[in-house]
Amino acid sequence: MKDETVRPAKPAPRRWRGVAIATAAVALLGAGIATANAATVGDKTGGKNTTKAAAAPQDPTKGAKGVAGLVNAANAFLATLDDDQKAEVLIDFSQENAVAWSNLPCAGTCRPGISLGDLDDDQLAAAKAVLVAATGTGKGTGIDQLNDIVAADDLLAADSSGSTGGGTAPSADPSASTDASAAPAPSGAAPSGDTGGGGMALTYGSGYYYLAFMGTPSLTGTWELGFGGHHMAVHITYKNGKGVSASPFFLGVEPTSYTDADGNTVESMKAQATAVSALATSLTTAQKTTATLSETFGDVLVGPQNDGNFPTTKEGIQVSKLSKKQKQLVLNVIKPWVANADEATAAELMKVYEKELDQTFVGLSGGTGYDTQGDYLRIDGPSVWIEFVCQNGVVYTDQIHYHTVYRDHTRDYGGEFTF
Amino acid sequence: MYKTRILRLLAGIAVAVPAALLLGASPASAHPMPHSVVLLDVHETSVTAELEIPLGDLTAASKIDDVTGQEDALRAYLTAHIKPVTTDGRPWSVSVGDISVTEAEQTSTGPYQELDATAVLTPPAGADIRHFTFDYDVVVHQVVTHTVLVSVRQDWATGKLAEDDDSATQVGTIKIDVRSMTVPALEVNLESGSTWSGFVAMVKLGGNHILEGTDHLLFLLILLLPAPLLAAGGRWREIAGARTAVARIGKTTLAFTIGHSVALAVSAFTHLDIPAWPVESFIAASILVGAIHAIRPIFPGREAAVAGFFGLGHGMAFSFVLAEMQLSTGRLALSLFGFNLGIELVQLFLVALALPAIVVVARSRYGRVFRITGASVTGVAATGWLIARLGVDNPVARAADSVGTHTTGMLIALTVAAIASLAWTYADRRNRVVPPPAPAKSSAPSGKSSAPSGKSSVAARKPKSPALAGAATEPAASVVTEPAASVVTKPAASATAEPEDEEPTGE
Repeated sequence: MKDETVRPAKPAPRRWRGVAIATAAVALLGAGIATANAATVGDKTGGKNTTKAAAAPQDPTKGAKGVAGLVNAANAFLATLDDDQKAEVLIDFSQENAVAWSNLPCAGTCRPGISLGDLDDDQLAAAKAVLVAATGTGKGTGIDQLNDIVAADDLLAADSSGSTGGGTAPSADPSASTDASAAPAPSGAAPSGDTGGGGMALTYGSGYYYLAFMGTPSLTGTWELGFGGHHMAVHITYKNGKGVSASPFFLGVEPTSYTDADGNTVESMKAQATAVSALATSLTTAQKTTATLSETFGDVLVGPQNDGNFPTTKEGIQVSKLSKKQKQLVLNVIKPWVANADEATAAELMKVYEKELDQTFVGLSGGTGYDTQGDYLRIDGPSVWIEFVCQNGVVYTDQIHYHTVYRDHTRDYGGEFTF
Repeated sequence: MYKTRILRLLAGIAVAVPAALLLGASPASAHPMPHSVVLLDVHETSVTAELEIPLGDLTAASKIDDVTGQEDALRAYLTAHIKPVTTDGRPWSVSVGDISVTEAEQTSTGPYQELDATAVLTPPAGADIRHFTFDYDVVVHQVVTHTVLVSVRQDWATGKLAEDDDSATQVGTIKIDVRSMTVPALEVNLESGSTWSGFVAMVKLGGNHILEGTDHLLFLLILLLPAPLLAAGGRWREIAGARTAVARIGKTTLAFTIGHSVALAVSAFTHLDIPAWPVESFIAASILVGAIHAIRPIFPGREAAVAGFFGLGHGMAFSFVLAEMQLSTGRLALSLFGFNLGIELVQLFLVALALPAIVVVARSRYGRVFRITGASVTGVAATGWLIARLGVDNPVARAADSVGTHTTGMLIALTVAAIASLAWTYADRRNRVVPPPAPAKSSAPSGKSSAPSGKSSVAARKPKSPALAGAATEPAASVVTEPAASVVTKPAASATAEPEDEEPTGE
């Protein structure tokens, strides 16, 4: 009976062979997982912090005004880039590239161009010079406004980690890791601010804004400047050295009001909000009734990927029915959006919209306090299309925030494409 | 040679598994405002639509401000805006059931409240359930920026049995056509299904269920753990022959299968509505009993009967999966067969995978330590489960549950153990057989008669079963070769230390 369990004598190493194999397997498995983890961590932290302002180089416009100055600034910017970066900025002016924009914090997954977070200080300064040359210089509009909105997004980046509530452990929730896959830009940059706590991976912050030239910047031919990120999509199109279109232009902001580092209160979309409110409150009760649309709006109607989808029938109150003073208020509403483009381009566009003013309609929905979800105003003319809507806050959930879009029925993207 | 191949294979697994986990995530489209979700479960004669509607937009559209106490008004509103029709224009009937309000959050929306409702959509007699016009404009008729995502969550005939919402297949989006400011109806054309795809999906579901349900597998394995041992005087004492062990494992597995199959069939067909917690607790208790038995024999030789008895409880738990799917009787019969087949196939595979390790480890010097440790850990896990299922959440149960989600790791561990055990046995046997083969063979019959005679329990049971007696031949023969071998390789006298470790200790 003792025999049954007697083991044969054998060389000791052989006995341990099985154990050795098992140990090796465990070690390899561990190494595999460790490597994979290391790669993941690398993705999340391997970014640059290059959003601080740098000293502006000597006049990149070479003293030229208007589009000529812009082309000079664009070329100066391109000269600071390596070939790979140039390829990110200089893309075809195709319909596919043109319509690929979004108002969402989806970084480079939903818009073309080079990420500002990917640029070094000199390159960033050159990029900003391009934007200054391309956009309007009015106080509270144009570049001034764009800067404030980008700054608001840095605030979102700082404040969203605790309040988006998406959970902070990336592996805890499968849907969170799904979102995370949208986070890194193709270029792999993770700029200042973080990605909303890692859970929701909403890419807030000034590093996630993208600059693109569709077509080659020049004084001949057609090209478009695209600049966008969360709450922003700028498209300005040039033909033979003249700006011909400043739309589509999406503009939004959260929070609508904040205090900057110097203790100043910044209301980055005050220009638009004030003009909208002034027009709405100028309407008599009867005019309001005519202007009020039957529908409710939770966002802009003709947003991204809705190119050419304007309602066939114009709704609301026709501007021809309004007083002279009210007509001016309508123009005042249109102006801050159009002033996104340089002064010459904006003036040309305003001339068109003023001429078509009597065939333009003003529509309202929700309230006219512009402080509640669904408060909405729309301008719909033969050419111009503007929507302004209040939406519940995403990060600051006890406040509303603004979503707006400016389009032109025939001039979006320079009228280059048919939808 | 084979070793390097194994190492290469394992290295491949070590790299592939984490890679697969990392690449599994797919990008999701983000929406600035919460959208509605409609999840369709396509049955044989009706479609169940589960609705998830953001409350803010619903209030704006329905003008029903306070949801509580307004269920009837909400049902009326929903019914007025959900109008499926046949392809030739005949209306389906719609009945809205349960309504509740929950917290929700979508990508980049922030948290918000949503209304959850269930609607049963039934086509007129004889109409095609797989092709219809889904005229749905809840919320969208008023809040024109709202979007509705329509997906199929369950469709038995195409083999889609998804138990979670995330794997639903999108069939379309309902939103306003801005140019005309109207809401076009969604044409639903489901791909044609077949009984075969439904059946195959059920087989897969059964396989996955046993693979992910740690408790079922654990019960079986813990019962098999002492299979190679013989009990005497209330302790596990001696090592049974390998064939005896295999036969016992086979019998226990078969009895468990019969037990849970019977219970599954009965509870599925009679639509027994048993609450889950007593059944789940019974299962936890069964594991605990198995673990105790693995440490001290409490029902030696009756493992099969015990497996059959507790199998009944496990079968009832399996039936919960089928009950959730709300299948018609015809499909239920087929599903039952497929589901059970999947369970058996995977169970058989896993038992086969665990078998070499169970047999080899029991005969090694680590057998006792392994058995006691394994049974203790299992016992602790089972106790944790039992307490949790009786209503007291505890970290032990949570830890034990999380093991079940690492199926790949479990499989790799089992595979490695099986390979190591087989390699050990192979190396062992080669070492033994090489020396003088002749005397070993000739002495086999005598060894056969002498070896078992000293054992109380096996000797007593053996005459009952000729098959078992035959099964004992082989291990007995190998037993005899062992002393012969040890005599030849005399210098390695240290080998005698090994049996000393094992033999007298028992339990």
